[in-house]
Amino acid sequence: MDIVLAAAELSKNYGDKHALQSLNLELRKGEIFSLLGPNGAGKSTTINLFLGFIQPTSGAAYINGTDVSKDPVGIKKHLAYIPEQVMLYQNLTGIENLALLSALAGFDYSKEELVNYLEQAGLQTDAIGKRVGSYSKGMRQKVGIAAAVAKNAKILLLDEPTSGLDPKASNEFSELLIQLSGQGTAVFMATHDIFRAREVSSRIGIMKNGKLIDMLDGSRLNAGEIEQLYLDYMKN
Amino acid sequence: MIRTIAQKEFTTALRDRRFLLLGSIILLLLLTAALTGFSSYQLIEGQQKAAQESANESFHEQPDRHPHRVAHYGSYAFRPKPVLSFLDFGLDSFTGSMVYMEAHQQNSANFSQAQQSGSLTRFGEMTVAFVMQWLIPILIIFLCFNAFTQEREEDTLKVLLSQGISLKQIATAKIAGYSKVLAVIVVPSIALAALFLFTLNNFSWNTDLILRIIVFIISYVLYFFIFITGSVLISALSKHSRTALITLLGIWIFTCVLLPKAAANLGDSLYATPSKAEMDAEVHHEAKEGMNGHDPLDKRTADFKKALLLKYKVDSISQLPVNVDGLVMAEGEAFSSKVYQQHFEELVATYRKQDQIAVWAGFIDPYLAVRNVSMGMAGSDFAHYVDFLNAAEKYRFALAQFLNGQQATKMHYKDKETRLSKEIWEKYPDFNYEMPKISWALNNQVIAVTALMFWTILIYFLSIFLIGNLKNI
Repeated sequence: MDIVLAAAELSKNYGDKHALQSLNLELRKGEIFSLLGPNGAGKSTTINLFLGFIQPTSGAAYINGTDVSKDPVGIKKHLAYIPEQVMLYQNLTGIENLALLSALAGFDYSKEELVNYLEQAGLQTDAIGKRVGSYSKGMRQKVGIAAAVAKNAKILLLDEPTSGLDPKASNEFSELLIQLSGQGTAVFMATHDIFRAREVSSRIGIMKNGKLIDMLDGSRLNAGEIEQLYLDYMKN
Repeated sequence: MIRTIAQKEFTTALRDRRFLLLGSIILLLLLTAALTGFSSYQLIEGQQKAAQESANESFHEQPDRHPHRVAHYGSYAFRPKPVLSFLDFGLDSFTGSMVYMEAHQQNSANFSQAQQSGSLTRFGEMTVAFVMQWLIPILIIFLCFNAFTQEREEDTLKVLLSQGISLKQIATAKIAGYSKVLAVIVVPSIALAALFLFTLNNFSWNTDLILRIIVFIISYVLYFFIFITGSVLISALSKHSRTALITLLGIWIFTCVLLPKAAANLGDSLYATPSKAEMDAEVHHEAKEGMNGHDPLDKRTADFKKALLLKYKVDSISQLPVNVDGLVMAEGEAFSSKVYQQHFEELVATYRKQDQIAVWAGFIDPYLAVRNVSMGMAGSDFAHYVDFLNAAEKYRFALAQFLNGQQATKMHYKDKETRLSKEIWEKYPDFNYEMPKISWALNNQVIAVTALMFWTILIYFLSIFLIGNLKNI
């Protein structure tokens, strides 16, 4: 089956507010799935449920067949998470941040290996030894990607990863996702970026008010069509 | 994992300029406190040693004399300064260091540092203990207040957690990392203090001193652990760094400033102590009930003499084989000493009751707990002071009775001309005070030690439990 990420009737309420309602989803090895939706649609809530940062009100989230709420720490060895703002430790250098995150994930890389990961992620060589406090958003994003790759994760959870990136950086990011997908990594990406979603994803979900209201085939629609559909859903 | 995050905390703290500045100031203060404390110790110890030698010499060098004159000439007991008191002056600055020992009179200790110094001494001195008890907790607060809040505010907590590490592990790692940072500041001062100890002329390691140093260090390690863990816990439970900082500073003010004052004031109001003048008057009044060797019309003295005549089966005082004046003096001394001792014990018991409030308050304030353990190990607490006073009184009483014995056995009745040989007082042993052992000191501080351990265990398990069960990341 190769299903690495799944949601079964996954719901989350905050008081009377339904942040996520009965989400059913399966993601296979090597698949890239994008979740489109406006702010407050429930995209980040979904990611937080898969990460085990919040508990579901009902239903379950599964990572590699394990119920996330049963083993919220153990499932993370299969996951890598890149938030909208990749927040790293400002007083540490890029390579020190990567060494820290890799060590926490159980990998003891040599300096050369760490440099390799950072360069593969597109970070300029001269920035590797500089403190992250001086990095741009794109540079931090690259360290985050390097950490995800270095972790050898089966699943990437991305929350608005291209937000604020310049077109070149955004394009490099897409290429990297496709490359990782080719290596068998499943990608779950919450995004506003319809064009980038269309470019990399095999399936695109549209979410509104905590509900997954449609599932589109990325290969059958062009970006314009997806945008039109999305806008129609948002109007209704 | 824990070591990795601990190392991260260590590295980031040492790269934080604000912390470096504050840490450097505290380090400087600690080193200065160790240096000034030690030089003050050397000065006072030297002065007291010289004064004790001079007093002993004066006593021994008295010429041939009537023994009761020697008893009134008296001697002095100077309290040797405990070696570790240079780290924690405790009550030493406020309690006297010298007792004048004479016949019929139990004098209190005089010449405290506070009496001899400017008024600022009364507001506390810059000692190693002061820096460790008051200032290092502030440093710890500034080091740890944003342990979790900053991670949350900058979203790095999720990054950490997504690597497959639990909140418990993060908390443990942070506590370990901050402890390492603190060690960088405290260890040099401890090393300097140890170096000072080695430079002492008459210094020699002994088991008691080593054990006192070990307990002293452990008590501060626990105290810092309590503050570090508590600060990390408050940070984990707070939404914002500012809230955590204000909460922690509030806790510091409560534990290090308000509660100690409140405990002392409560003790004072619950258990009032007589003034020195009141106590002296009472002792004097009650001592009058006993025999007074200087009053020929005293009825009790007359009765005592009659009893002696009967005992020795003689008709007159002059026929007694012993000098009745010496025996009367000895009886009077024993009585007045007993009266004084009763009052003194009552006074000490009242002070202890006052003190017990602050000691038991250690269960709600770790500052009070460590303060007591620290003073106890340094030998500068109330119990050590009372032990010295008791030793001085014991010596005074023994000396007075020895001289009364000389008068009773070597002089004739009504004989005011004979002078006993100076060899008698030349050979009389000097006052030689030895500080009690650590087991005695620990026994006096058992509640404070228990309170410190109680806090350590409580704060650790509370932190692990509450942080481990945090719902909102």
